[in-house]
Amino acid sequence: MLKEELIKKSPVRVLERGIEGGLKAGNIGVIASRKGIGKTSVLVQLALDKLMQGKKVIHVSFTTHTSYVISWYENIFNEVAKRKNLEDYSSVHDDLMKNRVIMNFNQEGVSTDQILKSLRAMIVDGGFDADAVIADGFDFARADAGHFSQVRAFAAEMKLEFWYSCTMTGEEPLLDKKNVPVILRPFLDEIAVLIVLDPKAEYIHFVVVKDHGRMNPSDLSIKLDAKTLLIAEA
Amino acid sequence: MAFEISKMRNIGISAHIDSGKTTLSERILFYCNKIHAIHEVRGKDGVGATMDSMELERERGITIASAATNVQWKDTTINLIDTPGHVDFTIEVERSLRVLDGAVLVLCSVGGVQSQTLTVDRQLKRYHVPRLAFINKADRTGANPFRVKNQIVEKLGLNAAFVTMPIGLEDKLEGLVDLIMMKAVYFDGEGGIDIRYAEIPAHLAADAAKYREELLDCASMFSDELAEAYLEGAETPEMIKAAIRKGTIAQQFVPVFVGSAYKNKGVQLLLDGVVDFLPDPTEVKNIALDLDKNEAEQVVVCDAKLPTVALAFKLEDGQYGQLTYVRIYQGELKKGSELFNTRARKKFKVGRLVRMHASAMEDISEGGPGDIVALFGIECASGDTFCDPSVNFAMTSMFVPEPVISLAITPSDKKSSDQMSKALNRFTKEDPTFQTFVDPESNETIIKGMGELHLEVYIERMRREYKCEVTTGMPQVAYREAISQRAEFNYTHKKQTGGSGQYGRVAGYMEPIDGAVYEFVDSIKGGSIPNEYIPSCDKGFKEAVKKGSLIGFPVVNIRCVINDGASHAVDSSDIAFQLAAIGAFREAYEKAKPAILEPIMKVVAEGPAEFQGNIFASVNQRRGLITASTEEASFCRVEAEVPLSEMFGYSTVLRSMTQGKAEFSMEFLKYGKVPTSVSEQLRKEYEEQRRKEQGR
Ligand SMILES: Nc1nc2c(ncn2[C@@H]2O[C@H](COP(=O)(O)OP(=O)(O)O)[C@@H](O)[C@H]2O)c(=O)[nH]1
Ligand SMILES: [Mg+2]
Repeated sequence: MLKEELIKKSPVRVLERGIEGGLKAGNIGVIASRKGIGKTSVLVQLALDKLMQGKKVIHVSFTTHTSYVISWYENIFNEVAKRKNLEDYSSVHDDLMKNRVIMNFNQEGVSTDQILKSLRAMIVDGGFDADAVIADGFDFARADAGHFSQVRAFAAEMKLEFWYSCTMTGEEPLLDKKNVPVILRPFLDEIAVLIVLDPKAEYIHFVVVKDHGRMNPSDLSIKLDAKTLLIAEA
Repeated sequence: MAFEISKMRNIGISAHIDSGKTTLSERILFYCNKIHAIHEVRGKDGVGATMDSMELERERGITIASAATNVQWKDTTINLIDTPGHVDFTIEVERSLRVLDGAVLVLCSVGGVQSQTLTVDRQLKRYHVPRLAFINKADRTGANPFRVKNQIVEKLGLNAAFVTMPIGLEDKLEGLVDLIMMKAVYFDGEGGIDIRYAEIPAHLAADAAKYREELLDCASMFSDELAEAYLEGAETPEMIKAAIRKGTIAQQFVPVFVGSAYKNKGVQLLLDGVVDFLPDPTEVKNIALDLDKNEAEQVVVCDAKLPTVALAFKLEDGQYGQLTYVRIYQGELKKGSELFNTRARKKFKVGRLVRMHASAMEDISEGGPGDIVALFGIECASGDTFCDPSVNFAMTSMFVPEPVISLAITPSDKKSSDQMSKALNRFTKEDPTFQTFVDPESNETIIKGMGELHLEVYIERMRREYKCEVTTGMPQVAYREAISQRAEFNYTHKKQTGGSGQYGRVAGYMEPIDGAVYEFVDSIKGGSIPNEYIPSCDKGFKEAVKKGSLIGFPVVNIRCVINDGASHAVDSSDIAFQLAAIGAFREAYEKAKPAILEPIMKVVAEGPAEFQGNIFASVNQRRGLITASTEEASFCRVEAEVPLSEMFGYSTVLRSMTQGKAEFSMEFLKYGKVPTSVSEQLRKEYEEQRRKEQGR
């Protein structure tokens, strides 16, 4: 399969159709679930889809080492390339990875200001003209009060799409009546798109809780394979 | 004298520059009673440490040569192998890591894990070397060994726990707590030579209990006996030590020692640790390559009765004459016996055999398996394997990375010119990644190596050891050329000028390949080129790939295939087919879309977070690709891939940009295509240079 075809047939297209054509620059999107469901995998697939299209992605990791992040990308890229029989595999791979940079932060001791300063340095000084930021492992329970409004302003200024993962922890129930993760309630205004991964009997569902201002819970017609952690059409 | 093998250790000390490697080595020699005074590394008396025999080394404070020194600690014999600390000396580092069975990783209590620590640790991991960590300089202002231990866990990804902890820190460092014996240890007397055990100070009892628990939790993983005893509170020091030893040798655990080499605190406990936790030569698996079986892997066994296998890992041309240090992996090495050098394919007789102590040399008649000894007057290169003539093994692969940088050097006077060839002859023997040749066009002597510092060090050594002054040209990057698609050729070489003519026709194609530099394939069916001229074609192509037509650099990753041709009964000859192949190569080369490749380095820079933007910008300006950055509190680390040609003088730039607070290390990563604009520039320069030369 050619790269172009792979992009066209990607299940990410289905996801985008379910959220008015995509997240769009200047907005914050959140993928939430309990621990260990597959958020990192979903984020990496969103990132790889952007990279396939020649866009640039900053992967921000708050928990894991660079080498773990790299292996997530390698494994998923290899798996997808193998399944879809991607042509010109190794040069596509090299082109993609050139457009990805990984930034690690220790959330403890590094403030929102400092994080945004570093992102700005990467984009401006480093000449890395990013289109999207993928933020994995951020602990929402420890976010500074102004974190998300600052990030949203930054995303708008720099024309970035900003995807976060959010692990739902704390006391049950983890979701409120509108299906909003309790931990995200204080930040809901700043979040444009909120998707909850919900493991059911057959597969893991993508539940859109908030879609560009509309609160109309609906299921996307995609699923996450619990074994391969790949997104597929349902 | 042969040693009991379980009481033998071959260890190296690996460290970030300035963390105290030299000071520690010297203290070790002192406590082992082999030298009698402690000189400060940069002391007033200028005597310096015994391990660093070279002046240059002392001036720069980095360790370049890897000599081995034999010391005795209690009932154990330790061969202390000095490991080069800089990544530029790839082969030297690899050699010394090959002969180690264990290592002490030295860290600074203030600086902690730095980019070079990571490089050094990566090398130890690559060679599966079990290690102890020594967090030195606990007496320095700002010392925080606890933070450094956390960095060992987090940044180096090692499973580590304290086996000693400090009593007081900075100028209040009084002694250590031995967490296995649960005793306070003080170092009294001159040079801290008298060890005094006492009760743990009351205010540290809780901390000591906490760190002991951490240690026991780790150690219990490696011993069921300890795990059970620990549950019942019946663990003994012997059980704990055995468990730690097991984990350490399996490279699943790193015992952490604390101390101050400079203030004579904790070195003896570290030496006990070397004996207790690092492997003896029989506990390490070593693999040789059987040259009779296509380099098939073959385990060598630390047994005196088996045929001898030894590796020459270091040549030294010092006060005693020409010395070759060897590590014996299998069998014995006896004075007067006959050995076979498997690289040179030559037999030789073992003459004088010695063991090097810190201050003296001891003549011996034999060395046993696992031991390190030195031979006198052996003609060889470092990296050679010496075997009993009944086997044909190599301890290191014959593969040597190609140098990535070159430099023209010109001697300043007649005397220097004589000395220069002597020096170069010696260096190239010691270090296969250091090469030299005379450029036939400019008649200049060119030296080639793995990095700017690598070459600088040899120039310094020429100056100091050989009193040879040279002026140097600009460093040149070792570019390569490579084709990007298949192209056909069908070329006839014909010459008819009286006498016998020349005739040969060669047809086939060239194509890019991965993994090999050059391949020649003969797929001619039906003998259109007589068999005797096939090697001539190969020779011709080999000649042609030495110099690509873009910028005159070697062509790599290419396969030349011949599938047709023609010959003439009288006029065909070896030379005719060589010339035909060269012509065929030239004909197809342009069509195969050649490109220029340049060495790309993996660069790691780190320093205070405030300079992150500057570092990003400096990488960006150098056509670099930032691959990752890490930020923690006020500290940042930037990883990038940058073309070598852009890295000249980077250390100066980085230093001035960050007020000397950031540092970097680099390693050759791969060859990559240069961008079009650079390629055009290089080609223009090459054309100009050629025009100038032709005009001459
Ligand atoms: N305060 C203090 N200084 C030390 C200690 N060990 C070494 N040094 C100093 O640190 C500097 C570098 O030491 P050196 O042994 O040359 O380090 P190397 O580059 O790793 O060989 C010298 O000035 C030493 O005197 C220590 O334990 N405490
Ligand atoms: Mg030193």
